[in-house]
Amino acid sequence: MSLPALIATLLGVSLTVYATFAGADFGAGILDLLAGYGDADREAIAATIGPVWEANHVWLIFSITILFSAFPVAFSALGTALLAPLTVALLAIVVRSAAFGLRAGPDTRTRSQLLLSRLFGIASVVAPFAFGTVAGGLAVVSSSRGLTAAPVPHIPWAGPFALLIGALATTLCAQLAASFVASAVVRSGDPRLVESFRRRGLQFGALMLSLSLVAPAVAATAAPGVWHSLIGPALPIVVVGLGAGVLWLLALWSRRYSVARGAALLNGAALLWGWFVIQDPHLIGSRLTIHSAAATHAALGAIAIAGGAILLLVLPAMYLLFAVFARPELEVIE
Amino acid sequence: MPTSLLPPAAISHLTAGRSQIGTSLSFHLFFAVLGVGLPLMMVVAEGMHLRTGDPVWRALALRWSKVFGVLFAVGAASGTIISFELGLLFPRFMAYAGGIIGLPFSLEGAAFFLEAIFVGIYLYGWNRLSPRAHWLSGIPIAFAAVASAFFIVTANAWMNVPSGFQIVHGQVTHVDPLAAMFNPAWATETSHMVLGAYLATAFGVASVYAIGMLRGRRDAYHRKAIALALSMAAILAPLQLAAGDLLGRTVANHQPATLAAIEGVTRTEAGAGLNIGGFPLPGHNGDVLNVKVPHLLSVLAFDNPNAPVRGLGTFPKADRTPLAPYVRLAFIGMVGIGTGLVALSLWYWLRRRRGTNGPEDRWTLIAVGAAGPLAFLANELGWLVSELGRQPWIVYAVFRTSSGVTSSPGLGATFTAFTLLYVALTALTIWSVRRIAARPVAGLPAAAVEVA
Repeated sequence: MSLPALIATLLGVSLTVYATFAGADFGAGILDLLAGYGDADREAIAATIGPVWEANHVWLIFSITILFSAFPVAFSALGTALLAPLTVALLAIVVRSAAFGLRAGPDTRTRSQLLLSRLFGIASVVAPFAFGTVAGGLAVVSSSRGLTAAPVPHIPWAGPFALLIGALATTLCAQLAASFVASAVVRSGDPRLVESFRRRGLQFGALMLSLSLVAPAVAATAAPGVWHSLIGPALPIVVVGLGAGVLWLLALWSRRYSVARGAALLNGAALLWGWFVIQDPHLIGSRLTIHSAAATHAALGAIAIAGGAILLLVLPAMYLLFAVFARPELEVIE
Repeated sequence: MPTSLLPPAAISHLTAGRSQIGTSLSFHLFFAVLGVGLPLMMVVAEGMHLRTGDPVWRALALRWSKVFGVLFAVGAASGTIISFELGLLFPRFMAYAGGIIGLPFSLEGAAFFLEAIFVGIYLYGWNRLSPRAHWLSGIPIAFAAVASAFFIVTANAWMNVPSGFQIVHGQVTHVDPLAAMFNPAWATETSHMVLGAYLATAFGVASVYAIGMLRGRRDAYHRKAIALALSMAAILAPLQLAAGDLLGRTVANHQPATLAAIEGVTRTEAGAGLNIGGFPLPGHNGDVLNVKVPHLLSVLAFDNPNAPVRGLGTFPKADRTPLAPYVRLAFIGMVGIGTGLVALSLWYWLRRRRGTNGPEDRWTLIAVGAAGPLAFLANELGWLVSELGRQPWIVYAVFRTSSGVTSSPGLGATFTAFTLLYVALTALTIWSVRRIAARPVAGLPAAAVEVA
């Protein structure tokens, strides 16, 4: 494997972990919004993501630093062509983090708490939608085989295919969150709460299913390049994704929540890797590839070594974090 | 694009881009500084609790951890803004510099990772871990926070003193990521920043509790907080003077135009005197309230009383900062505040040695109360000296700021949007921290919080 391909794979892994785990945190915001005044539901959502969401968010920073260190020209082109949707995504991320961090708890008793919770919820819808349109728009320009004259192509992030991917990304986040929260509350043993998140999950499953039915028609008409990849090189991943989606629905239906969580993660990962296969080897448009946009060999080598060391350091710590909060509380002092 | 969102046409594209990243950085700096300093104070306070069993220390650590949780969330968000803005506002700079100076950014990613993971464990783990394990989980936060600051500041040092690459036919070649990271300014700039962060946090914490004491809350809780914070300040403030002096030499050796702007040197002088005061007010030639100490600048900058110091006027107009008076004002402000803070911490320490509780008279408390905001101001001013003093370059003498800005339109609109966001975030943060401070102190015997 060439050095650029190795680092592109590292970037892909980092983006996948961000999309699935931080995606679940965005989905938690969506569920919080939908829970209205149901404080017990919102308490369970906050308890699930509270300790982990900051760490999950760092995968985004990590991805960006890999992107601009290893593929600086592509980072530059992305920032120029996608100023508008990325600014929207960024504003949403910031509003969501700040609102969740600043509200003291999930209860709706005071107006300030309620306002912050609603901001948290709305921003959690906007961020994955904006990221989805970026991914959809990139897939359209990067899969078309014609060479464009402009080094920075126009990216149709507001086109039908991009909007569809935005909706799909948002739904995926809600689906992930419903699975995460349901499998967390199963341990605390409140059957009403578990049922509530199961119902939400099934609703989003139905939405996901209908979007997946529309998707081929939209892709075939609005994004022929994407369509050819989906039925070509990306087909195995599409099959895995569909299988995971079905498994997820069945697991949720039969109340096997850990299986549902695993299937939702696999489903999300398949969506991401399907996108990567469609893009490969292009980063943005058909001229900037992982080879033509790569930094010098020395820079790539340094990033590869640093990236590997970082994963060795971070993954055990991440495991520790999730393990500590999988345990019940010892005692209540405060 | 709706034209109503655009500010007056007087604000140019470049100014809008620079203003947006400048606003973002000055906002983030406040949270970054506390993010470096507070974990150390939490760990020390919790360690004191483990050692002495005194519940006041635990109450302080717990309270600081709640505040830290809010600040960390806002700081992580504002840091995310900057990582995006590098590409959104200055894509041509990043296309140029990303491959050279990306390494410390990636390493900062690792430090931020560890910090966020252990912040999760520390903040939510008070009741899930044994007291000792909980204390231990705070230590990686304190280390990772310093490491983050270290890596980011090496990148800033590279912008001031670029090295580790060559330019052949306009292309970046011969990149040595380690040489770029460990450029000639790395040691002096990082130590000055980390000490600055620790000092601002220490004075900031002392300031909050000094104001509490002025309002009559003279209890063990307030006394211990001030004692810890000002002991930290007394140890570190003299070190900061030394670090600042060394950084001045780095600037003198590698950024002659910046040195001239900082020190208010307009004409080249052999055996240059040090301007003390010399406020660059409009209509005056930088000589308002100036005291000139003969030969001192040449000694401080080059260890030679007769060394020539090049004047700002000798640089081509296109290669010197158009903001020289502001650079000079920011520098005077930073050094003035820093000197005052050193004096205050020494005063407190000397007085404390004689008594038991340290001075608690009204004027000392007022001085400590003012020291917190001033210490943060000194950090912001120091950052302005670094950034404005380097202009018109984004990478000193190599790459112009005007060549780095995006070609996309609409920066007026994004600048307006982000400025409004920062105003709202500031208001929300103050509201949230005040709400934490208003809660009664939990888990303490009444005697510890009673009026002594």
